[in-house]
Amino acid sequence: MSQLLRFTDVELYYDHVYALKGVSIELNEGETVALIGANGAGKSSILRAITGLQGIRKGEIVFDGNRIDRGFGPDAIVKMGIVMVPEGRRVFPFMSVKDNLLMGAFTRTDKGGINATLEMVLGRFPRLKERYTQAAGTMSGGEQQMLVIGRALMAKPKLLLLDEPSLGIAPKLVQDIARSIVAINRDEKVSVLLVEQNSRMALRISHRTYALATGSVALSGESTALLEDERVKSLYLGGEVS
Amino acid sequence: MEQVLANGLYLGAQYALIALGLTLIFALMNVLNFAHGQLYVLGGFVTYTIYGQLEMPFVAALFAAAVTLALVGGLMERFLFRTVLKRSVREESTMLLAAGTAFFLDAIILLIFGEKQRGVPKIVDGVFNWDFRLIMPYDRILIGFLAIFAIAAFVLYMQYSKTGRALRALAQDRVAAQLMGVNVDRYSMIGFALGAMLAGVVGGLLVTITGVNSGIGGPISIKAFMMVMIGGAGVISGAIAGGFILGMLESVGLSVLHSYGDITYLMIFASLMVFLSIRPQGLMGKPWG
Ligand SMILES: Nc1ncnc2c1ncn2[C@@H]1O[C@H](COP(=O)(O)OP(=O)(O)OP(=O)(O)O)[C@@H](O)[C@H]1O
Ligand SMILES: [Mg+2]
Repeated sequence: MSQLLRFTDVELYYDHVYALKGVSIELNEGETVALIGANGAGKSSILRAITGLQGIRKGEIVFDGNRIDRGFGPDAIVKMGIVMVPEGRRVFPFMSVKDNLLMGAFTRTDKGGINATLEMVLGRFPRLKERYTQAAGTMSGGEQQMLVIGRALMAKPKLLLLDEPSLGIAPKLVQDIARSIVAINRDEKVSVLLVEQNSRMALRISHRTYALATGSVALSGESTALLEDERVKSLYLGGEVS
Repeated sequence: MEQVLANGLYLGAQYALIALGLTLIFALMNVLNFAHGQLYVLGGFVTYTIYGQLEMPFVAALFAAAVTLALVGGLMERFLFRTVLKRSVREESTMLLAAGTAFFLDAIILLIFGEKQRGVPKIVDGVFNWDFRLIMPYDRILIGFLAIFAIAAFVLYMQYSKTGRALRALAQDRVAAQLMGVNVDRYSMIGFALGAMLAGVVGGLLVTITGVNSGIGGPISIKAFMMVMIGGAGVISGAIAGGFILGMLESVGLSVLHSYGDITYLMIFASLMVFLSIRPQGLMGKPWG
């Protein structure tokens, strides 16, 4: 398996307050890797560092063999094949579902390819097809989540970053979203880095997991093994029902 | 009656085009461009120079005004607003910058073009006369239709082109647009250039009817703010509605209130205050749609 993403000893600060203090993680091609941890542990900060939304102070981020942590803005990162679905979904609320999806393909110029991806996305999320001309802001939370995942797929990414796709979504829909993530990873050969507070869901659908605590990696390993790990059970799977 | 309506439509189309440029810049950068009226004046003078002075075709002059103003707008964004927006944390900074730019452009315009009122030869002769119920010179009709055509072209461009879509996305959610690969700097510049170009085009259109002088930048800006406030800031449909409403009010006012003296704008300001106290977000008050 070849390595797609490597984070080495990354430190990230907001002004003078650290959010990441020496984080090292890896993701291989074809993998789904989960990042779990409590509020403020630094999960989103890892994704923001990868996308270039937030600069890092120390360490290295390597994608596909190239360093990407210096001198690349968010738009350049998208062109390299990394697309993020941000926390809180962030659809373009006054645009139609169609225009939202087309925005996902903003960096692409191959018309035929874009249409093929559009077919794939609409096939995967039939709900989007029903709502095709509706303003995205008027859809339910679950539908919006499908839309932003679809929008990200429109870029034909190599690596998909998902920030809490289950947040604020009806439990039944969480199942659907989880299944879609597995299917996207398997069928579309997209590697996935998944941030989740729903640790059980994250451990179930990922190959490997890193558990973060206040800016560093506390635990990591195969997700199936971690699901049985006593520390994980008490710390991350505690009061959750599923 | 027909006369008042036709005048209102003609004026409204020009106004709507001015308001569209202002609202586009506002939606994209959250900047109220106080210098918008000066951009209009510049467009008028470029057209005056090329069509009136150099006696080249009007179409060429209008095109030159559009290109010049797009350039000026692009430069304003690149060297003034971008730098200030990056460094400042307070909104007043960009307002002061915009006001300063307006004075600066006023001075430049005065220096280059002087203080005289300038007009150009008629682009077409003749007057349309429908039984004396509706009398309108052909050049006004032509300029009116050109403005409506420009509005339609702009709306279609924003709705269906890739660039237009990216501009709308940027206005609705800056971060999400970035995450789709939109380069914020480049597209802010494109948007600013496009907004300035619209102001310049109207200046170029209206110089053939009312002429241009270096002092009308400020009043035009104020009218543009009013239209944007009537319609709702940052909304395409709002700018168009605001433009036509103000054009209509002005036309009705000029014919109805004529006998009471020059009080049209007094009445318009008063009603605008009442309207805004009832509906502060304007008619279509929502972010860019
Ligand atoms: N823009 C910001 N400015 C200042 N501090 C920030 C900013 N964003 C995040 N932080 C801080 O950095 C730390 C890590 O935040 P981060 O968003 O990465 O956590 P998270 O694991 O994603 O949390 P959550 O589960 O709540 O989303 C937190 O202490 C947070 O308060
Ligand atoms: Mg987070």
